[in-house]
Amino acid sequence: MLKKSLFAMLFAALVLAAAPLTARAQDRITVGFLPGVVDPFYQVMQLGVEAAARDLGVKIITQIPATWGVAVQTPILDAMIARGDLDYLVTAPTDKDQMIGPLEAALDAGIKIITVDTFLGDGDYINGPVTFPISYIGSDNIEGGRISARGLAKAIGGSGKVYINSTNPNVSSVEGRAIGFYEVMDNEFPNIEIVGLDFNLDDMNTAVQQTAATLQRVPDLAGVFGTNVFSAQGAGTAVVNAGLGGEVQVVAYDATQFAIEQLREGIVSLVLAQKPFDMGYMAIQFAVADAAGVTSLPRRVETGFAIITSDNVDDPAVARFIYQVP
Amino acid sequence: MLSQVWAWAFLGSLVVFFVIAIQIVSDGTVNFLTIRNSQNILVAITPILLLGLGQTFVIIGAGIDLSVGWVMSLASVLSALAIRAAFNAGLPLPAAVVAGLAAAVAGGALVGLFNGVIIAKLKVPAFIVTLGTSFIVRGIALLLSQNTTVIGLPRGVRSYGNDALIYLIRGEGGGIYFFERPEVTGALLRRMDRILPYPVLMTALVVAIAIFVLRKTQFGRHTYAIGGSQEAALRTGIRVDRHIILLYVMSASTAGIAGFLSTLRFTAGSAVIGDPLLLSSIAAVIIGGVSLYGGAGTVIGTVIGALIIAVLVTGLVMLNVQAFWQFIVVGTVVILAVLIDQSRDLIVGRAKRR
Repeated sequence: MLKKSLFAMLFAALVLAAAPLTARAQDRITVGFLPGVVDPFYQVMQLGVEAAARDLGVKIITQIPATWGVAVQTPILDAMIARGDLDYLVTAPTDKDQMIGPLEAALDAGIKIITVDTFLGDGDYINGPVTFPISYIGSDNIEGGRISARGLAKAIGGSGKVYINSTNPNVSSVEGRAIGFYEVMDNEFPNIEIVGLDFNLDDMNTAVQQTAATLQRVPDLAGVFGTNVFSAQGAGTAVVNAGLGGEVQVVAYDATQFAIEQLREGIVSLVLAQKPFDMGYMAIQFAVADAAGVTSLPRRVETGFAIITSDNVDDPAVARFIYQVP
Repeated sequence: MLSQVWAWAFLGSLVVFFVIAIQIVSDGTVNFLTIRNSQNILVAITPILLLGLGQTFVIIGAGIDLSVGWVMSLASVLSALAIRAAFNAGLPLPAAVVAGLAAAVAGGALVGLFNGVIIAKLKVPAFIVTLGTSFIVRGIALLLSQNTTVIGLPRGVRSYGNDALIYLIRGEGGGIYFFERPEVTGALLRRMDRILPYPVLMTALVVAIAIFVLRKTQFGRHTYAIGGSQEAALRTGIRVDRHIILLYVMSASTAGIAGFLSTLRFTAGSAVIGDPLLLSSIAAVIIGGVSLYGGAGTVIGTVIGALIIAVLVTGLVMLNVQAFWQFIVVGTVVILAVLIDQSRDLIVGRAKRR
């Protein structure tokens, strides 16, 4: 009895969830989309992927890992390879070294790779250690780190102690942001001291805790740089909880609704919006172009930023880059 | 035996379900039953299974080891550091890889010894001790790795972790190759299957040893006896303390092997690689029919449990159903497995289990 009802339940659940897919017609190429984790950034990227797929007649197979990490992303990748029907894979590798082997296996299975947001090796797919992906489409994260540093330096008046909260080591995106941040602070702002960098392993609770502890440890902390969605949200929350909103300046990488709210409240002084929609849309365009025989696709595309402050947050030309998830 | 029959039947039904459902949903373009997919599933179960193997022994002995996921992470870091150091010191690659295995297993065993001694000699509940060590081990792994992925391993390491025993190229111009990966490109590459990757072979060896130890040796019989009743086991002259310590050493050692294999596969050590795997590995053990009250269970049961989880994950992705469903389905299966186990107890009684 139990077994029977379990099967009935399982079957019902799966069929319900899969039902919309059966209606799709035969399309030209099939592209897998495997981002890093469930968060607003990748959700907007997914919108870009889907918009391009509609415009260009591409079939998309999307799988989103529940948590960040190689151990979670790889089994899903393997299963996507095992489908046997993918021509291209658009993915954000969760580690720039560890994901080389698993993605080479995809290449072995005849699937061409486009990396978005994060890259493999050093991101130089022409002369670097890893050259097999078609292209890297994403932010110039080192430049993003520099912009964030200058924004934070301006907000705290060019001197004081600042702290960085980041997600994971060895992930090209957030690593680049810290590199750019350090570079500017070291070279341009001798009166600013970076008191630490913590990794929250992509967990917002940990980000809150680490930032709160740093606020305790460094009573005269002037500013915090949160290097992505979770880091910035956690850092902002900790500053508010400590009653230091407006006193301790926060620079937030990624323009989530949450970060924008905190910008309006004066807790966050600068929000750096990336362009995940562009990344997703262009990745699909690149796949279609490659399939059509285009051979001069750039191996690296930088999608740029929108810098959002309280002065321009209501300007529609800027506000359109806030991550809007339906 | 009933619960294992149930597990086999469930696994079989699951495969049949996915074969049919995937055919329908994909209009016949995607096939679940392929050589490539079978190998994928085998690769996917290796970490869960290795973590679950030692756990099977520990739980049959009426204990629990919550530290295995983090021990795997620590072992991954240790083996990467050892391989790098040995290779840079001039050792040939195979010797460096063996050094990595030794470091991973030794590091794991040491943690297991620590767990076992505190549980057996100081009589602290296993749940608490292994929970505590999991934090300690996690910290050590992060410190050792200096908070980043341990890279700089020789490139050849990747082939140890990803190459296979047999390569089969189907169709025209194809063939079968042993040990050596054929240098092919294009259409031939697309038709190439990698059969029995080395990590799978190594895991199979460990599974075979575990089956033998649990079924054929005195150590195995004593494990069941201790799980059934520690007092009775003491009275029959079994050295219970020593045995319990060995169980935790075993558990941490198989987790060590899991960490070593992940280092080979990803050509790097990671202090967080095992974090998400602990709960899956315990789920595999329970689905496989190992009783959390101790005294009952088999290694094959755990293998089936791990297979069920891997088939679910792979099948759902191939159906293009969000992978999040796996959590709901696995959770349901775990609870049902225990419910069935219990209802059988009501009928047969607990005494005659094995």
